Amino acid sequence: MAGRNSDSQVKFVLIDGLVVLKVIKHCEEIGSGGTELVQGVLLGLVVENRLEITNCFPFPQHSENQEDFDEVQYQMEMMRNLRHVNIDHLHVGWYQSTYHGSFVNKALIESQFNYQHSIEESVVLIYDPVKSSHGKISLKAFRLTPVMMEMYREGDFSPETVSSSNLSFEKMFEEIPIVFKNSHLVNALMCEIEETQPPKEHDQFLDLATTSVLEKEMALMMKCVDELSQDANKFTNFQRQVQKQKHAKEQYLMKRKQENELRAQRKEAPLPEEDINKIFKPLQPPPRLESLLTSAQINQYSQSINEFAKQSFGKLFMAESLQENKVASN
Amino acid sequence: MNQCRVFAFKHSHENEYTSTQTDDVFHNHIAKPAILRQDITFSRFLLIRRLIQIYQNQARNFQFSDDEEDEKRVVKSRKDKRYDELRGLIKDMKNHKKIKDCAKVCSDFEDQQKAYDKCKKIIQEEGKPRFYIRNLVELEEFIGEVWEDREQRKKMSKLNAKGLTTLRQKFRKYIRDFEDDMSKYKEAPDKESDVSAEEVEESSDSESETEGDVMKAADFIKKAEKKKKSEPKPKMDDDSSDDSMDWGSDSDESSSSSDEEKDYTNILQKFLKKTPAEAEKKKEKKDKKKVEKKKKVEEEDEDQEDAGGDWEVVPGGQFLEKKRPKMFAKNTEINHEVILKKLMELVSARGKKGTDRQEQIELMEELRTIANTNNLGIGLDVKILLCHISSVFDYNPNIATCMKSELWEKLISHLNELIAILVNNPNITVWEKIPEDSEQVTESPFKVRGCVLTMVERMDEEFTKMLQACDAHSTEYVDRLKDEPVVCSIIEKLQVYMEEKSTSDELCRIYLRRIMHTYYKFEEDYMMGRDLSSGALMKRLCTYIYSKDNTDRLRTQAMLCQIYHLAIHDCWYDARDLMLMSHLQDMIQHSDVPTQILYNRTMVQLGLCAFRQGHIKDSHNALVDIQSTGRAKELLAQGLLLQRQRERTAEEEKIEKRRQMPYHMHINLELLECVYLVSAMLLEIPYMAAHEFDARRRMISKNFHHVMRVSDRQPLVGPPESMREHVVAASKSMKTGDWRSCKNYVINEKMNTKVWELFYQPEKTRDMIVTKIQEESLRTYLFTYSSVYDSLSMVTLADMFELEKAVVHSIISKMIINEELMASLDEPTQTVVMHRTEPTRFQSLALQLSEKVASLVENNENIMKFKMGQFYQFNKGGQNKDGTYVQRPGQKQWGQKRNYQEGEGYGGRNQQNEGGYRQRYNKDGGEGYNNRQRYNKDGGEGYNNRGKGKYDNRENKGGYQGGGGYQGGGGYQGGGGRAWQQQY
Repeated sequence: MAGRNSDSQVKFVLIDGLVVLKVIKHCEEIGSGGTELVQGVLLGLVVENRLEITNCFPFPQHSENQEDFDEVQYQMEMMRNLRHVNIDHLHVGWYQSTYHGSFVNKALIESQFNYQHSIEESVVLIYDPVKSSHGKISLKAFRLTPVMMEMYREGDFSPETVSSSNLSFEKMFEEIPIVFKNSHLVNALMCEIEETQPPKEHDQFLDLATTSVLEKEMALMMKCVDELSQDANKFTNFQRQVQKQKHAKEQYLMKRKQENELRAQRKEAPLPEEDINKIFKPLQPPPRLESLLTSAQINQYSQSINEFAKQSFGKLFMAESLQENKVASN
Repeated sequence: MNQCRVFAFKHSHENEYTSTQTDDVFHNHIAKPAILRQDITFSRFLLIRRLIQIYQNQARNFQFSDDEEDEKRVVKSRKDKRYDELRGLIKDMKNHKKIKDCAKVCSDFEDQQKAYDKCKKIIQEEGKPRFYIRNLVELEEFIGEVWEDREQRKKMSKLNAKGLTTLRQKFRKYIRDFEDDMSKYKEAPDKESDVSAEEVEESSDSESETEGDVMKAADFIKKAEKKKKSEPKPKMDDDSSDDSMDWGSDSDESSSSSDEEKDYTNILQKFLKKTPAEAEKKKEKKDKKKVEKKKKVEEEDEDQEDAGGDWEVVPGGQFLEKKRPKMFAKNTEINHEVILKKLMELVSARGKKGTDRQEQIELMEELRTIANTNNLGIGLDVKILLCHISSVFDYNPNIATCMKSELWEKLISHLNELIAILVNNPNITVWEKIPEDSEQVTESPFKVRGCVLTMVERMDEEFTKMLQACDAHSTEYVDRLKDEPVVCSIIEKLQVYMEEKSTSDELCRIYLRRIMHTYYKFEEDYMMGRDLSSGALMKRLCTYIYSKDNTDRLRTQAMLCQIYHLAIHDCWYDARDLMLMSHLQDMIQHSDVPTQILYNRTMVQLGLCAFRQGHIKDSHNALVDIQSTGRAKELLAQGLLLQRQRERTAEEEKIEKRRQMPYHMHINLELLECVYLVSAMLLEIPYMAAHEFDARRRMISKNFHHVMRVSDRQPLVGPPESMREHVVAASKSMKTGDWRSCKNYVINEKMNTKVWELFYQPEKTRDMIVTKIQEESLRTYLFTYSSVYDSLSMVTLADMFELEKAVVHSIISKMIINEELMASLDEPTQTVVMHRTEPTRFQSLALQLSEKVASLVENNENIMKFKMGQFYQFNKGGQNKDGTYVQRPGQKQWGQKRNYQEGEGYGGRNQQNEGGYRQRYNKDGGEGYNNRQRYNKDGGEGYNNRGKGKYDNRENKGGYQGGGGYQGGGGYQGGGGRAWQQQY
């Protein structure tokens, strides 16, 4: 219900430059440049059909010896304090860093579900520090689709329900467009800084070092493919078992029938009806959530590889023509 | 031991009688250090104490009479005897009371009653003895005291608590008759005079000042005690029956100290003959008497007069009952029949429950002495000796424990003797198949039933057991091991003896024994003082077994031993060829466990040998099976491993312990593991470097990978300490082609002392390892870094790896030929030019990914197939069940149907329903099946084609499927299927 209603409400996310900088800072400082996951709370409010995120604060990194640390308490305290200094204190979601886009997992779904369940407009911002280090900020906002919300609430991911609800890996998340917005003051400042900065001698945008990123993504993707493959195997086994059981069931019923016919000939009372499900316990179908998630993750990888490849190809062609040009001029 | 005692007496009395042989035997017997009785339990100690006290009581009793009369040995009145017995029992009970052993007290009480009943007659004459009354009163007090102490009572053991209750009840019943006397006694208790008298210590007894003397006294008393046993005394009986052996050892101990021995005999003489007063005891005399008698009987010599008239004075009575069977009746003429009869008697007692095995051995020994003194011939001697040896074997009924060292020494000396006799007297035939009645022991040629070979084999096993039983690091083990040459020499002698007479079967057996004692010994050690090299010996013996043996087992073992022997002497090719030719690897799992253990040992030695010779791959192959399980220790029978899954039962453990190899035959496990790991490293590291991106890469050595992974998991890797860490560190440096540090990790002080020095020629092995490391590092280097070079100078490579240029050249050439390295050699510049044909890392990753995706697609198709194919399967089931269907001209009919169906679409439905096919399946589902069958067939083909990569075919199939009413049929099938499902 919450999900469905909010569907029309939030069309895009408006992010303040401050939030972006804070997320990056948090990630670089605590997450040691992307290798560790960092998370934090987004603050802002919904205006018309846009979600404005105006501030954020990180979840503290708590070590193992502080087990009594109360996160909720901390969040409440933090928000109260922010309110005192007249900052937006409404909880509108959370952010998380990721390593090469490998964020689609159960934990994310679970927390996003909880967020969306209690605060219907909440989004999750995924920040990829590795990609950002290539010169283009990688920040994405996601929400669970209403279908997914419904499914997750039911907690039933058996093959039948999944196919009947028409849920596919593409329909689990919806990405919401992001708009960065700075105040005019900041813009003015930026303009001023730009003028004072000496012009860069080399631009890095033609960097051709494509392999390392691709390699990593490929490796991650391979892992996912493996997983999916295993999952498929599991499912095949399940099907086989179901098949076998069905067969056994059929044989059993056939026997019964024959027996009953015989009895009828002998004018005996037919055998009593028995609950077939008791004799052949229905098999537990493997949940499909994992495979959906892995598929979504693979989708994610493919998209990012695609995107990366597109840019790289452009660069390569450009480099080629430059090289030719150079040779020709020589 | 009692036998021994007899000899001791003999010795002291008749100096004229000492046949040398007896003397020898005697000394053999008692010269053994026998510190066996350290575990005298408290109760046993009490018993001894008691016996001493009895002995003293008696001494006191008769002191006066001895003084008064000149007569030394006094007849003890019946009354005294009875009362003494009673007193003894009372004393006993007192002791038990002290330790609150109610069960014992109870049985003591019963004994007392019986003893008291025996005294009835005397008591009638003289009235109830006061000490008995006193005893009863004390017992009453004791019972009351214990009974009141409830807390204590609860803590009592079940046995004791039960004893207490019984005692209390019985006592109550019993004292009714004594109530008057007891009350009288209570009014005027004793002045403890009697008591104190009884407790006077042996101050007056001059001879019992030392511990040893006391012990001796105890021995004497023991005999008395045993005599007493002839009377029904349950308590004593159960005590003595299981303690009899210990008693024997006790006496052994005391008599063993030879210096005391002299005293002892003196004392004896003192006792027996002259000593006027002192501790002249009747019991003593009886003992002596018995001894005398025995002696008389044994030798049936004319030395009766030596015993003197005094002896006859002593009345025999029931005390003279013999504790042990007499050898022979007095004056029996000793001849073959008599001895044989006696021997049969002894042999038939063998294995029976009540037989005292110790005594058995002694009797045998004695019998042999007698036979020898009477010169009854060598045949009989052998016969008795054989029986004697088997009685020695019998001594220990428990298969798990080994024999005592004294027995062992006796055994080997006897065996030596036996073999010596046999060798010196070729007219004796000892054979196990001689029937009992055709034995010939009286005259030459002698024929004796028995098997020396079995005995020697048994001895050998016994030897192994003894080695297993003692701690391998103790001096005891070394002492035991000193017997190894003796055992070997016995076997050798027997072998020589048997080579002349025995059948090939037996000869094979003795040869195998010999082999078993030779195969693990290194030539240099073996050759000391011998002319024939062990290799030649092994060859001779084994060849004989190969040609003559027909049990297979012996042959297998001999072969394994020979391989082992060849392997430790670095005859790699011979050993390997023998192993391969024998096909042992195929059939070893069908053989028995000891053979399997031997096989494992042999494989390990083979592996080590291959390693020393630089055959790394062979070495690895030989060792991998043993090492990969992680149970090398167990497989080589060098110790028990803890089992994780389940505990072994005590029985299993026992069996396993019996299989263990004696320590001196062990193979060093660390050496084994190190050799394995190093060879695994030399194989695995270049292989890993070569196949870094190969998805189908297999591990050569799981164990090695495991070790590497364990070290990777460590948060901090310090400098290597253990052997394993060294190898891991070496492997890591090898990975980067750094052969120098790799070498330094494998060969250094620590590793030398731990591992390499254990080899026969460590220098050679080390050189081999260094060369291997250089070569393999070069290969690894080329595999790992070839992608960053366009060309490589061979001279530089030779410098880097300190190898000959020719060697580098040959290694690289080999790699190029094997297509491991995509390069070519440029001779004029001496460089290796790389061809960039290997996919880059990224490319290989992409290849991998595509493979994986393909497999994923396959998996998904499997799922699809299932969905589509379920009915197909059903049909098949139906066919199988319905035999008639198979018989039908199915294919043709099918074809018709298909045409029909294709032509008419749904119209065919009814027709089909009418077909015989429907007999089994009901009407609703029927047409569905048929359609599906077809559909499936096509679908299946399509998939197959797709599997081959012809993706475009799919379109065609799809087109086909889509075409005509057929697709419609497919749609319908869905419905049909569902309907069908609903039905059930």
